[in-house]
Amino acid sequence: MSVGFIGAGQLAHALVKGFAASGVIATHKIIASSPETNLPTATALRKMGVNVTTSNKETVSRSDVLFLAVKPHIIPFVLDEIGPDIEERHLIVSCAAGVTISSIEKKLLQYHTAPKVIRCMSNTPVMVREGATVYAAGTHTELEDTKLLEQLMRSVGYCMEVEEDLIDAVTGLSGSGPAYAFTAVDALADGGVKMGLPRRLAVRLGAQALLGAAKMLLDSEHHPGQLKDNVASPGGATIHALHVMESGGFRSLLINAVEASCIRTRELQHLADQEKISPAAIKKTTLKKVLQQPGVTGVTGVGVPTGISLFNSHNSKQKGNSGQD
Amino acid sequence: MSVGFIGAGQLAHALVKGFTAAGVIAAHRVTASSPDTDLPTVTGLRKMGVNFTTSNKETTHKSDVLFLAVKPHIIPFVLDEIGPDIEDRHLIVSCAAGVTISSIEKKLLQHRTAPKVIRCMTNTPVVVREGATVYATGTHAEVEDGRLLEQLMASVGFCTEVEEDLIDAVTGLSGSGPAYAFTALDALADGGVKMGLPRRLAVRLGAQALLGAAKMLLDSEQHPGQLKDNVCSPGGATIHALHFLESGGFRSLLINAVEASCIRTRELQFLADQEKISPAAIKKTTLDKVMQQPGVSDTSVGTKSRVNLFNNMSGIKKP
Repeated sequence: MSVGFIGAGQLAHALVKGFAASGVIATHKIIASSPETNLPTATALRKMGVNVTTSNKETVSRSDVLFLAVKPHIIPFVLDEIGPDIEERHLIVSCAAGVTISSIEKKLLQYHTAPKVIRCMSNTPVMVREGATVYAAGTHTELEDTKLLEQLMRSVGYCMEVEEDLIDAVTGLSGSGPAYAFTAVDALADGGVKMGLPRRLAVRLGAQALLGAAKMLLDSEHHPGQLKDNVASPGGATIHALHVMESGGFRSLLINAVEASCIRTRELQHLADQEKISPAAIKKTTLKKVLQQPGVTGVTGVGVPTGISLFNSHNSKQKGNSGQD
Repeated sequence: MSVGFIGAGQLAHALVKGFTAAGVIAAHRVTASSPDTDLPTVTGLRKMGVNFTTSNKETTHKSDVLFLAVKPHIIPFVLDEIGPDIEDRHLIVSCAAGVTISSIEKKLLQHRTAPKVIRCMTNTPVVVREGATVYATGTHAEVEDGRLLEQLMASVGFCTEVEEDLIDAVTGLSGSGPAYAFTALDALADGGVKMGLPRRLAVRLGAQALLGAAKMLLDSEQHPGQLKDNVCSPGGATIHALHFLESGGFRSLLINAVEASCIRTRELQFLADQEKISPAAIKKTTLDKVMQQPGVSDTSVGTKSRVNLFNNMSGIKKP
């Protein structure tokens, strides 16, 4: 069983690092492609023994499970490029935030009658095998396909199947969650340093306290509030600290954060579904290099001065008034 | 090597659970004592195979490393009681927040010329072997005593030696830290539920995200800010969320929390050092049962006005 990654950035790197550490797949059976060969993550992948290429087609032909590990707005170009090369055996796993199964299937159905698609949302701690992943299965996916993905993702952390309509909320919670945690540890360490601790020790203790608490909760049947009560002895230091946090609306800030991330994810999905994205925005990605790939034509898919149709352009067809080339 | 616990509450239970899971000591070589035999933690300890007794003296006799796992204001009574039974071999490890090495040594010096004392601050995740512990060695503790404690505590998480003057700050950070995390996890789960997730899944994902992030940080050479940057793609969902956190002063709340816990710890230590505590406050503990222990006399406690904690010898009353 071979695994391929379209894209060799943060996500591909994190997943490969985790998979390799868990031994679930050997790195020489992994192939990754990216137009940009100088990315530090691409170098790191090579060092791990992964085959790194600039050709997405090569990745497709050499893999059975194919992860789409590129940014959401690149997905349609990639699908256009590799669509003709998808075979029966391929399981396409999209990790792109906000990109729906139906939009991917719609693209691939132009080339294949029953494309097997799974949508997943993971997070960077897969790198240390403590990720949080959810997935939803597409129309033509069989039970063994989902079992295969679960086997891969369970090797690098928690993995659970969900209904697709929950995935944006998961993005807001555990997708973005590590960033909330990194911010929290930075602040806790500042607190420790303010009260006299050296920085390194403060970071260490802050991270360890969060890790230990999270592990206690995962291993426990108790409500987080009960565990919090157990730490807060009468008149003690902890309850004084908790009061300060509550006074500042600490809990509310975290609810806001989860909500904001989820809403933005839905917003990005909506923009993509509207099938319009400004050429300027695309230019900011590695569009030029994407366009240089064989199979992606510059004429019909992109680059007209007005809007760009993402999900509805076929290689040789043009939408109504966008055909100005 | 035998380990004893004066006190059979949350801390003793968490440490014993961690030690036995780590295999660093067998449960039958652990003795714990408490006047209150009905505590759920007592039942838990018994189930693990620990020798449980109501006699602190028995615990002292049967142990080499003796953890004082009682609340700070109980410490002086315990020291009065077991002081005469301390031998050369004993290593006294106090886990009580805010109780200084010098106050403990002062008490024990009434009975022994060179009592070996270590002060430590740990936290409840020792129960899952992911604790955070710091310790400071007393005047008469040898290098091998520190190493012995470190070997025990490192089996249940992170452990490092520090200067004693840092311990109150550590209390504010990693001592209280788990409570900050539990509060955060409750709120994150609320956020997930608000956006449509079932509660159990939301709690699970929130805890897993924190655990994974903390592990990444511990395993990494990088600054937490760098790791945060790596998760924030341009115009993406995460940076939108972070803006909300920053707008609400999220970081400041956490700094405040660490500060408040540390300050309160110092306050409690100061009150104890002043050697005054109201009888009402003591009554809230299991004083009656403490007083029933052989060796603790009425003369060291309980005068109607104030009670001197650290300066009374058993037979002397302050005027």
